[in-house]
Parts: sequence; structure tokens; C-alpha cells
Amino acid sequence: MTERLQPQSGEVIDRSTPLPFVWNGKECTGYVGDTIASAIMANGHRIFARSMKYHRPRGLLTADFWDPNAFVQVDDDPNVRSGHRLLEVGVTVSPQNVWPSLDVDVKAANQLVGRFLSPGFYYKTFIHPQKLWPAYEKVLSTFAPGGEVDIETPLAYHDKRYTHPDVVVAGGGPAGMAAALAAAEAGASVLLVEHEHGLGGHLRWGSDEERAVAADLEAKVRAAGVEVLTDSTVTGRYEDNWVGIVQRSHPIAVERLIKARAKTLVVAAGLIERPYVFAGNDRPGVMLSGAVRRLINLYAVKPGERAVVFSANDSGDASVADLERAGVEIAAVVDGRTTGNVIATHGSQKAIKSVELSGGRTVEADLLVTAVGWTAPTSLLNMAGDRPVYDPAVARFFPSGTPDNVLVTGGLAGDGTLDQLIEHGSATGSLAAGRAVAIAHRLQAATVRAAAVEGAEPDLAADVRTPLGRDPHPELFRSTTHGIVDYSEDVGSKDLVSAAKEGYDSVELLKRYTTATMGPAQGKLETVNTVAVLAEARGETIAEVGTTIWRPPYAPITLGALAGRIFEPERVSSIHPWHVANGAKPILAGQWIRPEHYGDPAGEVTNVRTNVGIIDVTPLGKLVLDGPDVPKLLNLLYTNSWNKLDVGSVRYGLMCAEDGVVMDDGVTGRLSENRWLMTTTSSGAGSVWEWAENWLQTAHPDWEVFVTPVTTAYTSINVAGPKSRELMSRLTDIDLDPDAFGYMKVRTGEIAGVDDCIMWRIGFTGELSYELHVPAGYGLHVWEALLEAGADLGVAPFGLEAQRIMRIEKGHFIVGQDTDGLTKAPTTGLQPLIKLDKDDFVGKPELTWAMEQDLPVLVSVKMTDKTIVPPEASQIVRPGTNEILGRITSSRYSPTLGESIGLAQVPPELASAGSELTVVLTSGERTTAVVQEHHAHFDPEGARLRV
Amino acid sequence: MSDLTIQSPVTRSYSTKTDAAITLTDETAQSRLLFRAGTGTPIRAALAQSFGSSRMSGDVLIAGSRPDEWLVLGEADAVAAWSADVPTEGHVSLVDWTHGRAQFRLTGEPVRGALEKVCGLDWSNAMTPDGAVTSGSIAKVTCDIIRNDVDGVPSYLILVDRSFGQYLFDALLDAGDEFGITVG
Repeated sequence: MTERLQPQSGEVIDRSTPLPFVWNGKECTGYVGDTIASAIMANGHRIFARSMKYHRPRGLLTADFWDPNAFVQVDDDPNVRSGHRLLEVGVTVSPQNVWPSLDVDVKAANQLVGRFLSPGFYYKTFIHPQKLWPAYEKVLSTFAPGGEVDIETPLAYHDKRYTHPDVVVAGGGPAGMAAALAAAEAGASVLLVEHEHGLGGHLRWGSDEERAVAADLEAKVRAAGVEVLTDSTVTGRYEDNWVGIVQRSHPIAVERLIKARAKTLVVAAGLIERPYVFAGNDRPGVMLSGAVRRLINLYAVKPGERAVVFSANDSGDASVADLERAGVEIAAVVDGRTTGNVIATHGSQKAIKSVELSGGRTVEADLLVTAVGWTAPTSLLNMAGDRPVYDPAVARFFPSGTPDNVLVTGGLAGDGTLDQLIEHGSATGSLAAGRAVAIAHRLQAATVRAAAVEGAEPDLAADVRTPLGRDPHPELFRSTTHGIVDYSEDVGSKDLVSAAKEGYDSVELLKRYTTATMGPAQGKLETVNTVAVLAEARGETIAEVGTTIWRPPYAPITLGALAGRIFEPERVSSIHPWHVANGAKPILAGQWIRPEHYGDPAGEVTNVRTNVGIIDVTPLGKLVLDGPDVPKLLNLLYTNSWNKLDVGSVRYGLMCAEDGVVMDDGVTGRLSENRWLMTTTSSGAGSVWEWAENWLQTAHPDWEVFVTPVTTAYTSINVAGPKSRELMSRLTDIDLDPDAFGYMKVRTGEIAGVDDCIMWRIGFTGELSYELHVPAGYGLHVWEALLEAGADLGVAPFGLEAQRIMRIEKGHFIVGQDTDGLTKAPTTGLQPLIKLDKDDFVGKPELTWAMEQDLPVLVSVKMTDKTIVPPEASQIVRPGTNEILGRITSSRYSPTLGESIGLAQVPPELASAGSELTVVLTSGERTTAVVQEHHAHFDPEGARLRV
Repeated sequence: MSDLTIQSPVTRSYSTKTDAAITLTDETAQSRLLFRAGTGTPIRAALAQSFGSSRMSGDVLIAGSRPDEWLVLGEADAVAAWSADVPTEGHVSLVDWTHGRAQFRLTGEPVRGALEKVCGLDWSNAMTPDGAVTSGSIAKVTCDIIRNDVDGVPSYLILVDRSFGQYLFDALLDAGDEFGITVG
């Protein structure tokens, strides 16, 4: 480790734990506590990357999270911020987007044509001819920056958490810690979020005395019960203080997204040091004062041998002392507060050899340290509605006003001594806690489940803090030469001036046209310089130009963190274990895992048609309707009439939305005078419930009806087939005689020893059927009892596929399959169920009109080629053309009929029996279907189900 | 009927831990009644529990689960005994939800942390005190939740549509894993 210094009093590395790793193919060693960047630098390497566009060699600039020059690939993890990510043992760290190597990168040839690669070059150059774009894209993609994604990499675990602290403090510097401490001492629950790996802010790389203050504050913060998150970022502030936080290191997850609902948010994000724009400002060896101070004091790394320091503030001055202590020769100190200036660096592409200063002086050096001012990262304040205002006397932006539940402290709020910053932070924490009490009182009083509140809501605490001062600072943005403004995007000040001359002279337009501020640093380093260069180009002040609006996220977030923990709810019936144990092929229908078949769907059809089959139809939506006004509700929701349904009977109904489009259908039975059971489609269970509640609660609150969803309170089993009556007679005392229990009737009673079962005679298969609804906790018992009792009858389970085949054989449509979002009720052929003589029902006005229109018609079809089953949604076209006339909505090969059958939506002129339809297959070939007389291909009279 | 056992929706088997800070228990076998009652019906006086809160009444737990809606939970005999005498005149709906809901109990000091991983509600003592009743999305499934502490230890009854039972049970175990959880 050639550049490692002797132990520094504030270093965070553990020299007792060396960590071997590989950088750019070379064996290296770092220590626990090193960032990847500090470890690489300690091993004598100063080139970390190549720039995005021109592939110029780049070295460390800020040596922290925001460093635009230090993105690396760590094993299979691309785009790692090496200035922030801590070193781990054995990792292989590689430079990104260089070929063939970091040292010799042929793409650096871009520099030779750099003057042609002006802003908008791609937009202007590759727009014509359009047909060549695929070729352009292929070539340009090889120039895309970033690392390589290995799609074979196992997915990492990303966690999510919700929390509701009284106070969230964004920033763990001295003011942030003081705010957190004061808030906690005032009784608030506090979440303190720090971007870096440790609390302390700039004190971490400060003097012994400063670090002692930080350590004391941290100890008090932790003792006060503040929840501290380091290596975490408050990424956004949203409405009502919804605060997003990414926790980058956690014992059980690579990242955790925290959604915090803070009663008050304290923004103490500190200040971010700003680079200076001059010729050669991206040459390796140009560093900000904070970078050299971090390298020396935190990681004991020597940043160079001979330095020029361009200082306009205390940080620059302090860096001089640090460099001297580290044994770096100070070749010159240029004071930016007077007339001193840096004009350019000179040397090779890979290193500084000399620094050209104002007055014509040139100084040999391999390190240039700049300390020219600060960017106020007002992002979170922008997100809270603030529009920061530029103060030319201090050369940075300040908040102009925030909501009552967002407070600002620390460097964002102003300047002062350490004691003054801590005092302001403390006052801010107390204020935040006080306001949180009032906000909590309001929330608690408005939440029905919450503990009772005492007294009236307290007044929001007044802001009586003594404002921080503002230390004068020279406006230093660009020298007399041009240089890089956005290191991430390789955008220079010349580019900005050129864009402004082209007319992109609004800061928001300039940003988007040149991409300045749009890279991984997200404007933290380059926004103010961009604005300053534009102001200069426009001949205006920075205040007149204004700044861009910072939107979430504060710092880039991985897609994994955004996705968080993925929940994919699954539903199963009580018979599911049996299905699994007996080889059912599962299919996901909505959230339900259902048996598609048990190995032979055609055989299952034949068994139902011949013997008896049972199917688990638990997902069928079920609603209990209680009350004397249920018929009114049914008359409203269904298109047909429900005035005269006797107890013990069931009726089919069609449900439409206000626009007459079919919404759902199902059977509803009257179990007693005031209790009804409604069934819906499986997918409509939730929406029909909400639909009914919506009408009851908004239009008819006077109706006495309660609607209760009971879909999975019952296990639902359809027993279908000519032997179903025989089977059921073995398990129930309910009188099954057709005269006593006819088609479309319902009975309740005991089945297989289970009380309170509901049984009705309906079915989707066209066979004599009994639909059983049994208390779900006994569903498996009844299922197994059916199989046992009917063994000699040939009973066997059948799945969804067999049911689909049989319902097409019977011509039954499925809402959502054979209808779509435009299918009005008359299309289904159920005009007799649309009772326009009813006083009112949902969709009546639209259906009154629709009944007179030539709407598409749902018809039953057979393929002329009995072996061809066109895929569902196959288009029906006008013969000899591609004009779409309709589509096949359902299709299957019928084992009962031995031919290919289906349902289709066609225009009225093609709906009559015998019409021939031209169907386009997936292959592009065409086949012919013939419209049938009845919807039902099989037993159109319904004799089999009425026996 | 008497020889039949209500099948639990949780059909997988789990090993238990002795030193876990959180215990997840399947209480689906308990009975659950859902009452809905219109204004002025006599049963409201018997239920006498405001929306958002719960209380023990003898051996049953009465929870005001929504406006005009109550849940009565407990062992089958206790629930049957309690409901035998309640007046059901007027616009009243009584639905046996014993089979319609899976019922789990999550107990332990760090249980709030586990819930914060799967639900966006505020579980602080002020916002969700012992006895509080609410509904919300847990692991993207709508649940009824009753805070029902056991001997001063935070405990939550979670009721979910039975079909989601196995899914939710596993989701809760996963959420509690960070804190140490066992199946009770």
C-alpha cells in the first residue's frame, strides 16, 4: 500500500484486518473501513475510470458518494460508487466501459472529434435517414456508459418497511444530531438518517476537537433512543410528509426501502462542495478540498506528492494543514478570496504536471486542490414546495419557505460556529418535536381506532429560533478558461454556452438538451456551475436565471430497492392439498391456484357425460344478502326481474354497468324470506360486492340490505353427470326427487355429515348437476366423501379445462372471455333477460338504446376442418381481405362431438345459421367456421340437465 | 358433525424454536360470528362496542370491525352460548364466519417491527392501543386486525379470507424471521 500514511488520529480503517482484493487485474490490499476508492488509491492507483463521452482518464474528485469519476464494477455488481462502497474481502473490482483497458482505451479517439460532438449531436445526426436507425443504435449502444449486467446473477433480497416516527431528521451532521437529540429529549420518536457510513458530517474528517464533539453528540443521540440509520438516504419527501428512505446496508437485505410517515421532517443535509470550472479540471490529480481531507483523515491515504491549493474558504485552508501533516509538499496556496485564480492544469492525460495560475505563473504539482464554495442540496425542500433563492453574497442558494411540518437546519439554513450550528439544530429539534405533538394530536383524534386524546389540539409551536448567519463567500464558478461542468455526462462549459446560443437558454431546457445535471450526481456537483455558466452566457445574474427544480429521488435508487419486497398473494381452496396430492396440473386464475386437469381433460369430459364428475368451484363469488329490500337491490343490479322468486328457487341474472356493457353474471337463490345467496363469476367476486355496496351506500342508503362476502366461507363443488343424483342420494337426506327438487331450485341441509350446506340444481356442463356449498372447514371432508361414495359410479374429479370444453359444448359464455369491455348485453343473445319494462336498473337507458342497434352477435361456430382449433382471439376477416369483422372468443376440440367448436363475436350480417366465417390462424393461413343455429352444440333442448 | 374437525387453511408443517421473540399461532379453529345491525335494533345494545375498539365479554371477544358491523370471536361453545340469547329482531344480519376466515395470532415484544414489514399502518400505542380494531393490507391482502395483548405482551389477532390463509401465514413468518419467530 504505497500511498498509505502512518496512522491518523481520526482514521476509520482497522489496520488489524487487511482485505485482499483485485483492482484492474492487480492484487491489492485494503483494510476494513476503507472505501473501495480509498483502498485503490492507497495501493498507488490514481486512474479510476474513463469519462462517458470522450473516455478521458479520470481520478478521484470528491472521494465520496457523489464522486462522478469513480464508478466501478465489483464482481457482478455494475455502477458501484467506489467513493462510498466499503471494501469487502476478495472482491474483484474492474473499471467500466473501457476497451481494451483502462490504461489504453481506443474510444478515447472520440476526443479527436470532440469539437463535432456538441450538444444535440446525436439528435441532429442520427435522425436521418430513419431506416438506418437500427444500425445507428447497434453502434451507439457500444458507447453506452456503465458496467455489465450479468443476467445470471441471483436476485438479491430487497426489504421494505413502513414506519411512523414523530420526527425524521435527514442528515447526521452536528446540526442534524443536535436536532435529533433535542427532539428525542422532548419525547418524540426520532429517526435519524445519515447518508455516510458514520454520524458527524464534516466533523468526521475534522480536528480532534471537532471529532470529540461529534462523538459526544452521537453518544447522546444513541442514549436518547434515537433510531439511527447510517449509509441510508432520504430519497424523497412527498405529500403529507411521506418520506422515502433507502437503507443501503442491512443485516438481512442488500437494501431496504423505508416508507416513513413523519409528523415533522428536519432537513439537515449539509452542504456539498462544488468543483471549479477551468481548463483541465478533469485531469486526474484535481480534487476538492473535502476529498483530500477525507482521504487523509478518514483513510490515511496520501493524495499526492506536491500540491497547489486554491482556497476560498475554511475547508480549503484546513486542507492545507492536512496535506502538510500528510507529508505533501505545498507548492502554492492561491487565495480565491483575493485576486488569485487557477487558469488551467497541464500535463499528460493521466496526470497533472503543472498548474497555471493567474498572473502567468505556472507551478509544478501533481495535485490541485480546489475549495471554491458549496452547493446547498435543497432537493428535499424543493419536494416540499420550496423555491430556493440565490444569495450572491454567500454564493449559494437558501430556502425561501417550507411547510410547517418541514424544518431546515445546518448548512442549508446558514453559517455559524460549530456551537451556533448545534444550537440551531437543537432549537430545530425542539420545534420539530413540538409541532409533532400537535400533528399527532390531530391524527390521533381523527383515527377511530386510536387512543382517546386529551384536550383540544395544541397550537402549532411557533418558530422562535435565532436564524443562522451567512458568511460571505466569493462567487467562484468558472475561471477565465473553459472546462468540464458535468463530469458524469462529459458536458463542458463551452457546450453550455453553445446550447444557450442555439436558443436553449432556459435552465430547464438547457439541462435536458445538454444532459448537464442529469447524471448519477443528479446536480449535486454541477447544478450551480451550470446555472452560473448560463447566467454568464445570458449576461444575467444567477438569481435571474434561477435554478432547476430538484425532484425525487435525492440520490439515484436501484430498481431493486424500488421494487422492494415482492408480495404475490395466492389463494387456494380447502381441497387444494388433495389436488396437489393427486397430480392436478395447477393453473393460476386470478390469484387462485386451481386444477386445470388431472392428466386427461378429454377423459374427464367423457366421464362427466357418461358417469359423474366433481369439480372444485370454490372461487365462484358468493355474497349473502340479508334484508327485506333484497329484491329491490337485485332488480337494480340485474337486468331481469326479481320480484317473484320463491324461497327455494334460484335464477340466472345478467349484470351490466351504466353503459350497458356486460359486467358480470351468475345465479342467485332465495334461501329464506330475507336471506339470499348471490353467486358471481370468480373474477367478479370483489367487484360485484363493491358495486352492490356502492349502490346501497350512495343511492339507496334507506334500503334494508346487508351484503356480506362469503366466497371462501364455503367450499363449492359441482357434482355433474347422469349419475350425480345417485351419488348425492348416498350422502344427504335432502329429497332429491326431481319433483321435489327440480332444476333451478335450492335446498339446505346436511351433506356427508356436515350441517348447513347449500345445494342447488344448476350446472355449467349441461348435465344433471348439483352445486354444493359446504362450510369450508369441512370442504375436503365432503370432497373425499363424494369420491368414496361414488367409486362404483365412476366418480372422478375434473378440472377447469374439462369444464371449459363442456361449457362451449353447451354454448355458455364467460364474462370477460366471450365478452369484452365494449360488449353490451344484447350481444350475448340474452335479450329476454333485459326487462326494459322494469322501473329502473343499472344500464337501462343505454340498453334501451342498444336493443335497437345492430350490435355484434355472439354465435356458436364449428370449424369446417374438424381438426383445426383456432386460437382464442383469432380474427374473423372479410374473405380475401384483412378487414377485421369479429373474433373467435372461445374454442376447443370437443371429445363429445369429435369436432372443433367455439363461440365467436360477429357482425349481425354474419350471425345467421350457416354463415361462413373466414378465420385467420396464427400461421397466417385461413380456415372456415360455420355459424350454428343454437348456442348449444350439445343437447340444445337441455333435456339432460332437467332430468 | 361432532366428530369432524375444522380443517386449518395452514396445511404445511413447521419446526418450532424455543428462543423466538415472536410466536405465530393458528387460531382458525375458533368460532367467529359477523353481526351487522341497523340503527335502533336491540342487538346493538348487546354488542355495545364502538367501531375501532374491542372488549372481552365473558369468554368472547367483541370487536367493532366497521360501522354497524361487529365480530364476535371465541371458542365454539362460548360463542354459541353468547349468541344464543342475543336479540335478532329488526334489520340484523348474522353470518357465521368460522369457515370464512383464517385467524392468526402474532405475539411478542418485537411484533410491531414484523408488522411494519408487511403493513403500512401505524402500530404505535397511541394509534393502535390494546383493544384497537382496524382493517388494512398485510402483505397485499386485506385483513381485519385486533390488538389483543396477552399478559401485557403485544399481541394481534389477524383475520383474513380463508383462501389466503397459507399465503399470509408464510408471509408473517417471513416478516418475523428478522426478529426471531416460531409457530406456536
